[in-house]
Amino acid sequence: MTTVAARAVGTEADRVEGLEKVTGRARYAFEHPIEDMVYAAPVPSVVARGEVIAVDVAEALTFPGVIDVLWHGNAPKLERVGNAELHVLQSPRVAYRGQYIAVVIAKTLEEAREAALRVGVEYAVERHDVGLRADHPRLYRPERVNPDLPADVQQGDPDTALAAAPVTVDAVYRTPAEHNNPMEPHATVARWDAEGLTLYDSTQGATSLRDAVAPLFGIEPSSVRVIAPHVGGGFGAKGEPHPPVVLAALAARRTGRPVKLAVTRQQMFSVTGYRTPTIQRVRLGAHPDGHLTAIVHDAVEQSSTIHEFAEQTTTPTRIMYAAPNRRTTHRLVRLDVPTPSWMRAPGEAPGMFALESAMDELAAACGLDPIELRIRNEPEVDPETGLPFSSRNLVACLRDGARRFGWADRDPAPGVRRRGRLLIGTGVAASTYPVYRSACQATARAEPGGIFTVRIAAADIGTGARTVLTQIAADVLRVPLGRVRVAIGDSALPRASLAGGSSGTASWGTAVTRACEALRDELDRRGGTPSTGVTVSVDTTEENGEPSRFARHAFGAQFAEVGVDRDTGEARVRRLLGVFAVGRVLNPKTARSQFIGGMTMGLSMALLEESVLDREFGDYLNHDLAQYHVAACADVPAVEAYWVEESDPHLNPMGSKGIGEIGIVGTAAAVANAVHHATGIRVRDLPIRLDKLLT
Amino acid sequence: MEFLRPASWAEALELKAEYPDAVPIQGGTDVMVEINFDLRRPARLLDLNPVAELSRWSTTGGVLRVGAGMTYTSLIRELSADLPGLAQASRTVGSPQIRNRGSVGGNLGAASPAGDSHPPLLAADAEIEVESRARGSRLIPATAFYQGVKRSALAPDELIRAFHVAPATGPQYFSKIGTRNAMVIAVCSFAIALHPRRRAVGTGIGSAAPTPRRAGAAEEYIAAELDWDSRAALDPRVVARFGELVAQAASPIDDVRGTADYRRHALGVLARRTLTWAWHEHMRERTTT
Ligand SMILES: Cc1cc2nc3c(=O)[nH]c(=O)nc-3n(C[C@H](O)[C@H](O)[C@H](O)COP(=O)(O)OP(=O)(O)OC[C@H]3O[C@@H](n4cnc5c(N)ncnc54)[C@H](O)[C@@H]3O)c2cc1C
Repeated sequence: MTTVAARAVGTEADRVEGLEKVTGRARYAFEHPIEDMVYAAPVPSVVARGEVIAVDVAEALTFPGVIDVLWHGNAPKLERVGNAELHVLQSPRVAYRGQYIAVVIAKTLEEAREAALRVGVEYAVERHDVGLRADHPRLYRPERVNPDLPADVQQGDPDTALAAAPVTVDAVYRTPAEHNNPMEPHATVARWDAEGLTLYDSTQGATSLRDAVAPLFGIEPSSVRVIAPHVGGGFGAKGEPHPPVVLAALAARRTGRPVKLAVTRQQMFSVTGYRTPTIQRVRLGAHPDGHLTAIVHDAVEQSSTIHEFAEQTTTPTRIMYAAPNRRTTHRLVRLDVPTPSWMRAPGEAPGMFALESAMDELAAACGLDPIELRIRNEPEVDPETGLPFSSRNLVACLRDGARRFGWADRDPAPGVRRRGRLLIGTGVAASTYPVYRSACQATARAEPGGIFTVRIAAADIGTGARTVLTQIAADVLRVPLGRVRVAIGDSALPRASLAGGSSGTASWGTAVTRACEALRDELDRRGGTPSTGVTVSVDTTEENGEPSRFARHAFGAQFAEVGVDRDTGEARVRRLLGVFAVGRVLNPKTARSQFIGGMTMGLSMALLEESVLDREFGDYLNHDLAQYHVAACADVPAVEAYWVEESDPHLNPMGSKGIGEIGIVGTAAAVANAVHHATGIRVRDLPIRLDKLLT
Repeated sequence: MEFLRPASWAEALELKAEYPDAVPIQGGTDVMVEINFDLRRPARLLDLNPVAELSRWSTTGGVLRVGAGMTYTSLIRELSADLPGLAQASRTVGSPQIRNRGSVGGNLGAASPAGDSHPPLLAADAEIEVESRARGSRLIPATAFYQGVKRSALAPDELIRAFHVAPATGPQYFSKIGTRNAMVIAVCSFAIALHPRRRAVGTGIGSAAPTPRRAGAAEEYIAAELDWDSRAALDPRVVARFGELVAQAASPIDDVRGTADYRRHALGVLARRTLTWAWHEHMRERTTT
């Protein structure tokens, strides 16, 4: 084969599907044209807790176009699986407001929606409890926290160390419920035929969705096909399976017709997951020179009554700073609320808001520069496991960021820099994200014409995954980018892990590398491509199963400059700058987009995002984008992302760490710390609303 | 749903007389949201877009008559000099897409207490020209137009044709507080207009009462206190008192966007700020007026 020097990885390759997307040819879940399609409109519960005692479908059935109405009394039975959220229409119990209790199937969307309003539902209402409190009597310790970590970890004797510490910080931080709100709402087209079930779905993982849905219907995963070539954002909300896709499949099964179900923006606030609110207490004990003697981080969070999702809020604290005495805990309470799920760095994002705010408070208490404080507490090895870090360049990120941002001359005094009516302040925070990798399969095929096809059920949810995998394949095959096709987004392809935990590129890229290596060897052995082409397959289960002797994490540092109107309390971010240590950056263009996107979400988390709970009715008041504010372009005047050179041989063949989520981790704390520097006001409960900044 | 498309103003009035339940639609940036959210289900929509005159303006006897269908974008482009307060408010509306479609007439039709055009219209003593086939046209002062949350003095068979307002003879300012920099409903807003020839001051409060309203006591107080002739610098105590009186004129509520206390406080800030801007401009123009 003709060979060229490896060169695609590391270049700013354009998105391979860019033209398709900007010309509108890329098909999203809702857009697949299918014959004979009908529409499903779910009926959500209007009570937060109770039992459905009667469902009157008579009126709805008389509506023009209506084909059927399903509810727990007539819905096909599903098999029990681990997650009761997926037992859609199987029981009269109502676990949260907005839970699906019926669905209307009609010939048009309008007919379905109209008839859904006419389904009469009678409830036996029970008193609900939707309020998260740190002193809730039903708090308990979950067995494990997401993804599979111990709930509590302790080393040394933190209580004694805290009592003896000359300097302490003891503060409670709160983060609200937040909703992922990807641009593209969740949507499914479900079709049953002789082969089984086909789902066109907006998902972060075709294989994992297939594996989750098949057992519900008592069929083999091979009888389910999930097709998701393009996904308009997920941010975690399309990672775990949620009720809508099951409802669509159920409706299609019952009617024998392909069913299309698109979740409305409003319904997304109850049936597609969200970030749990947290109440976090952080206690730090230190010497006057800033050296930590104790770190205690306790988190209280919620889940629903029907499924436990325990977010790993305090886990980043286990690896961030050296201190001989430490404890991290998680407590959960099951409320009459929807089940929380993954959202934009679950655990790390809210947890690091608390820890990095507390570190800023400690810096002030010790009279130390916050960067210096962090450097002084840099651990030699992973404080939790004692393992060496495969690479840890937090200090390099802090220093490089400080230089680029212009930190050197910073006056630490809060509330003294004025520019007109604005109070100006700067803040810094560290960020971290674990390195995850999962086993995958992939095939690589050489065609006689010199074209190569790599197949893997990976997902590109807007990250640029398809492009980066093409780059990886091209380099291993030593051919130009244009000769490689990468097929993803379909469970009929070799099984792959989902786009989550910032692990996609590491997991899929390893399989793609191994497949392309195997193909290269095969072609060498054959002395070229046979006229029928040649295909090889790989499975990285074994490679991935090898335990690592290293603690593997990405690190970063975010810097923020804010201006706060001292009269009105309006806080605006003037500048955001992040520096990251994430191994090898495979495509600087798509990587920068991930970082600045993440930091923008962090800004949004700091100043805007909050799902406001209506305690009386048990649902979220601001369930649309007019009221749930996500940062607009005008709120992000300047955001810069950089990375330090980091060569780490202990990760994967690409030498890369995940970059999808680390951008958001730390950013909210950097903004909150900057607000404190600007105003002298320490806001410990997000978001930093304007009325919190009036004195 | 029936979609009525009158070709002329007269025809629009005919249709509205015949079908008082027909919902007028101009830019649709409020109407379509309400339909989408199923907040209303009009049996008929009355599309005013074909009535070209609604998107034009003219001057008669020194008074501007601005068509109800004029978009924020055209208003900013064509009337910034004559209606600086309204133009400033228009710049804060939504996003470019919304400003390209949305109109002042639609803002009036919706009569939301948070509508951004209301405070400057109030401050500039605008009058709303409404018309029905049965009773012809009448001019409603802005102060009498807003009657409750999303309720106005418009009768079911009437349509808004235009608003009338004198071109500014003095400084006009608008200021709005929101949680983000674009696409944001006002937490509260305030407009001020100085009328040096009349030695009067107009104000408008937005998003801090069931209706947009003027702060009458504040207006009288400040008109009497301002040193119109010498144009001397403002006494900080006077500015502070003005802010207090404006805040007192509001009757805000707590909601998702802000607390009542915050709104009262912030209105005081906006009042002091816009007054200061306006007075500085007035002082600068000592030689020109
Ligand atoms: C994303 C978004 C952002 C927004 N941001 C803002 C903002 O920042 N500030 C703000 O003030 N508003 C905002 N709005 C609301 C809306 O854009 C404004 O109220 C706009 O002025 C409405 O004008 P329109 O022409 O689109 O009205 P339409 O939607 O066409 O009509 C609005 C109402 O007025 C009635 N109406 C229209 N024309 C007439 C007429 N000639 N006679 C009688 N009744 C009439 C209609 O029947 C309807 O009740 C926003 C809306 C959206 C969707």
